[in-house]
Amino acid sequence: MTPGSEKNTSYCFVSGLITFVIIFSIVWALWRVFMDANGVLKFYTPMYGFSLVAVWLASILVISKVFEFYPFSAANMTGAAGIGRGLILTVLSLFLMLFITYGIFWNFIGKFGVAYFSPNSIVISGGSGAEPFIARENASTAIIYFVTAFIWWALAWDLGFGLWPWQGASQGVRGWSRFCSISILTVLTYAVLFHPHICQLFYPPQDKAGVAPWWAEYAGTGSAFFSLGLALCSLKWVVLSDLMWDGYPWRFLDRRGEGNFIRGVATLIGSVALGIISMVILLRIMNIFWMEPFEGGQYTDAPYFRYLHAGEISGFIVLAAFILKTYFNNFPNLSTLPLTALFRTIVSFIGGGVFYMFYYSTLSVWLLGKVPGIAQPDDTPLVWTMLFLSVVIVHAQFFGAWPVRRPTSGERLLRTG
Amino acid sequence: MERRNFLKSLAAAGMAASVTGPTGLLSNEAHAAGKINIGEVKNVKVDVLTETSWFDNDIMKKNMMDYGGAMTSQYAIPWDPKNAGGYSALITVTALDGKERKILLDSGWSNDWMDYVFQEKSNVASMLKKGEIEFMVLSHWHLDHYWGIESTLKHKPDITMYAPATFYPEDMAMLKEKAHLKVKDKAGQDVLICKNDTPHTGKLIPCNQEGEDKTGIYKLMPGVALRMFDVPILLRVRGENVLYFNVKDKGIVTVTGCCHPGLLSLFSFARSNFDQYKPYGCYGGLHISLFEQWDPKFDDIIKGVKSFNIAKVGCNHCTGWIFAEKASAAGVPIVKGTDKFKTYSRYSSVNKGNNVFLTNGDSIIF
Ligand SMILES: [Fe+2]
Ligand SMILES: [Fe+2]
Repeated sequence: MTPGSEKNTSYCFVSGLITFVIIFSIVWALWRVFMDANGVLKFYTPMYGFSLVAVWLASILVISKVFEFYPFSAANMTGAAGIGRGLILTVLSLFLMLFITYGIFWNFIGKFGVAYFSPNSIVISGGSGAEPFIARENASTAIIYFVTAFIWWALAWDLGFGLWPWQGASQGVRGWSRFCSISILTVLTYAVLFHPHICQLFYPPQDKAGVAPWWAEYAGTGSAFFSLGLALCSLKWVVLSDLMWDGYPWRFLDRRGEGNFIRGVATLIGSVALGIISMVILLRIMNIFWMEPFEGGQYTDAPYFRYLHAGEISGFIVLAAFILKTYFNNFPNLSTLPLTALFRTIVSFIGGGVFYMFYYSTLSVWLLGKVPGIAQPDDTPLVWTMLFLSVVIVHAQFFGAWPVRRPTSGERLLRTG
Repeated sequence: MERRNFLKSLAAAGMAASVTGPTGLLSNEAHAAGKINIGEVKNVKVDVLTETSWFDNDIMKKNMMDYGGAMTSQYAIPWDPKNAGGYSALITVTALDGKERKILLDSGWSNDWMDYVFQEKSNVASMLKKGEIEFMVLSHWHLDHYWGIESTLKHKPDITMYAPATFYPEDMAMLKEKAHLKVKDKAGQDVLICKNDTPHTGKLIPCNQEGEDKTGIYKLMPGVALRMFDVPILLRVRGENVLYFNVKDKGIVTVTGCCHPGLLSLFSFARSNFDQYKPYGCYGGLHISLFEQWDPKFDDIIKGVKSFNIAKVGCNHCTGWIFAEKASAAGVPIVKGTDKFKTYSRYSSVNKGNNVFLTNGDSIIF
């Protein structure tokens, strides 16, 4: 067992670093133009911008992970063809973002089915607080939760089941089959973990449509930030085992070198279990800094904030892992995988810590236009993290991380990074 | 399943793991050594001068939506001047020896409205002129608490003022430099959003989280303390000053502008830091369902207020009418207001008439 994938391509640290700095600057520019509440378009309201970024990330994953670039071949292309393909896929992902948000959620599901997915339907329904601003924030919150469940399933499915059970099928059949499976699971997950929260966002609560949050007694909060935190903590292990551990330990369950049902189930259970364990550890660490939270507390005293923050920290680690993989050749690449995996994980944690410090620093107050301090109910680092992550994945997946990597002809794209 | 099972088991695991040394997990006991005695007052009365910061909630939200959102700077939005009211309260402290002392909390938003409130609906204007109000506390730099500052200063420009140290240049320009601040609306027209032609000449005490002599608080008079909570707040504001009163035989009362840091976080602070802490009551905006929406986390607050044993809750302004209604129905001791607000020239669109707010013209004694 030796670490794979990184050795086939030529890599140069300096160009990796320069590219990273350029990507960081692009993210900053995108933030100033689209998100920054005191910038140009001010989509960071916060939920509206959050939903757009989350849907964009989901769209990128639909193209790369679920459909394996269908109808394009999964193989990377070089030179002008590679750039052209990258541009087409990027435009496609943006189109999907707009189509899913405004077409599917606002004007289809929200218009003809579940009212709360559409700001307009909420306003039309009338009653307390149903005006355009809060309606858009609430609809956006529902969309964010839905696509978070989708993102989790898309990544976990790919890692666990791989091509199973459609390994013999064509790229298109595989893509559509996977998309339908993931969508069904997303709907179920959303219904149980997030829908109860959304039903409580209105007055009176929509308690015939959704039960009162069933986790409230246990979690010390009725907020679905509990579920969101847990989903993101688990997602962190999906990403780490995929990128940093070359798919192990789940790949021990491979049959004929491929994913299968057992590996899939083990991956799901394993990543959720690791997610719970890491969330507990993060909550313990937060207790050291902020003492115990209590029901009804706000800011850092709030149980819901602690759960969300565990998710936000996981987000920083996921971002660091993708950056390490894409721009720093998944450092280190030692002779044995366990040692390599351990060090890569440590580096990702450190990287996540650096992003954490950056986001809450005076520098980011100036760069991102924030108010200094932590736990603002209208601010979550997840938006910046997801935007950054989306740009990195677009670069890595759609543009083959050019010019950091110059793949030899015919080489298949790296699994994820 | 038992309430707070998850968090409790977590804490228990923490205790078990930390037998070898203190980790900070042990919240209240760990602070016992440094508790502060803030003294006592006989009672405290709050007159609601105005709690209607804006009259139409939908217009307020539309202004925010059209020019950004919750994170956008308040100085970048051309707020509808016709919608502006203000938040302000007059606090009368009766000391143990029976002497009365007065504090002005905040100065509202619209100068027209605040002049009406200070001159016609109360005698705050003459009290300011005669020096009967000892000092002013600015809870935070939000427009609805601060932009009406001229209405106070024109009667007493040298009033002593406690304000959060976390101000922006625009805040100071308003206070000291006769600023007239304008913002362009979507049509490209300049809209005057705030102005002050009477610069403050008195003592300004910028408050920060360290407090006096690193005690974390400012002792304003025996039994009265101020704490600045340095939290980020919507509309690019930062930090809120909170008033604590220790009422003899009753306990701790908090008086707030918006209570952005969270009511129970204020009581949690008092519990950890004040000698002989006993919870009693609160007055002010509680910043909960101010946009007339709901959120499961507001249900947490209703449960929390009960478990903190707060005996007397006077609320209004950004508390949200819905929260007050729901909390009252759930058994939270909400003190009801009267119909005096109807004698005012305007009132708020959120007012459903069932008096769960202490509103304009009401008062409460702790
Ligand atoms: Fe306010
Ligand atoms: Fe406020």
